[in-house]
Amino acid sequence: MKKILFCLPLLLLLLPQGIKAQEDAFRYLDPIEKKYADLKDYTADVMVHFDIETFKAPDMQAKLYYKTPDKMKVESKRVFFFPREGGYFNPSLFKKEDFEIKLLERSTERSAKLVKLKLTPKKAKRGIQDFVLTIDTDSQLIREMGVTQFDGREIKAVIEYGRFDRFELPAHIQLKLDIPSFETEGVKEFDQLIHKPKRITGTIEIRYSNYKVNSGLSDEFFKEPASSKGM
Amino acid sequence: MKLFWFETFKTFSRWRTYISFTVIGLIVILTEVVMKLSANEIVYRMLRSFQKDFLVTGNILNAWFVTAFIMNSLHIHIPFLITLVAGDMVSSEATSGTIRFLLIRPPSRSRIIMAKYLTALFYTALLVIFFALVCVSLGLLLFGSGDLIIHHYGKFDIAFIPESEIPLRILFAFVAAIWSMSVVASIAFLFSTLAENSIGPIIGTMAVVIVFLVLGNLPLDFFRTLKPYLFTTYMINLWQQFLNIPIPWPEIWRSAIILGLHNAGLFLIALFVFKRKDIKS
Repeated sequence: MKKILFCLPLLLLLLPQGIKAQEDAFRYLDPIEKKYADLKDYTADVMVHFDIETFKAPDMQAKLYYKTPDKMKVESKRVFFFPREGGYFNPSLFKKEDFEIKLLERSTERSAKLVKLKLTPKKAKRGIQDFVLTIDTDSQLIREMGVTQFDGREIKAVIEYGRFDRFELPAHIQLKLDIPSFETEGVKEFDQLIHKPKRITGTIEIRYSNYKVNSGLSDEFFKEPASSKGM
Repeated sequence: MKLFWFETFKTFSRWRTYISFTVIGLIVILTEVVMKLSANEIVYRMLRSFQKDFLVTGNILNAWFVTAFIMNSLHIHIPFLITLVAGDMVSSEATSGTIRFLLIRPPSRSRIIMAKYLTALFYTALLVIFFALVCVSLGLLLFGSGDLIIHHYGKFDIAFIPESEIPLRILFAFVAAIWSMSVVASIAFLFSTLAENSIGPIIGTMAVVIVFLVLGNLPLDFFRTLKPYLFTTYMINLWQQFLNIPIPWPEIWRSAIILGLHNAGLFLIALFVFKRKDIKS
């Protein structure tokens, strides 16, 4: 009883600190949301280069279409693989009401002030456990984004920006992958049962060019034809 | 050469020779039609391990993918169809009682056995070529062309072959398949020289192929050490290597030489057996 009486005031003292830290973290996301509030859609040419030992593929090119809040489509005449997490810029992805936000650290790198935030989704979506964002507070840009998924997938995106129209949009994204080599769902093969799953590591470089911003893409444009839903 | 054409004429005069071509045609047509009808399911299953990480677009289920997919079953059904004819080459003469008439004619036993062996190989080559033509032409008609994605099921492992490189690689793969299947023909041919009826060589060859395939695929260390000594390892690997990036030429040559040595060895044993064959009893 004495212990409880001792701990209770301590907890009451710490609680406002926690709320304050969350509010503090929120204020780094707000300016980014405001900065891209006028960005409704964009179209860009993308070139993807794979540097993964078990993914032997030449450079691939396609056209990428994005519309707020979360519509994305790629078009290519040939077979095209595009990374789902971290491969494209979605300014509407980090809405503060969707996440528990924690400030991890503040730092300075090449005279730029950086903050590192950990965003834990309130509702589990696409198996994502958390995001770790490195935000440049001077230019209000997300410089790095780490994604950790519940099945052990880890993806880190390093983003370089260019000015297109009146927006700063990614010109180059480097994705570092660290993922299990075997499927983590479904029936496992004999090899998967007797051997510990290996991990696949590698990088994917994505270059963006020829941006067209706010060209008024319709919602219908992003609807998949029924025959290609499985792809 | 005259003997070879004579043997070829004899082989292709038998209706049973065409069973293989009919079966191959039916298997390919049935497989490709079913694949066309369940295209989405196939692509989903194939790319399940990638769907989480990648958005995939484009014509993945194309003629080249379908051809490679069907070729993967090459080592199961084609050997059986080859043995139907190769296992019958010499034993049918004994069954029908024509072996004595054949051997009392002027051509030597060596020339006769050589002509029969070449006919068995010719039939094997024609069967694989027919298989290739049906696979590719029907595939192009139903699925169209595109880049080839070779994926190892359940693993994060992919080889992407650009469309421009595929026809030549597929051509090499089928030539390699002919070479691989020639070993099955050689085994069936050897058994045919040993037997007095056709059932024995057919069953015997299939037993060897199936047992070797099973042993080579059991995921236990003992059988893994045994794998390099089984001809079936090279039989399957040879054509598949042409769909790797980059093409592993030293490995291909090694497999081709090992299979070639098998062919030579099996033929020499068949020649020895045939030369010493007693036709008086």
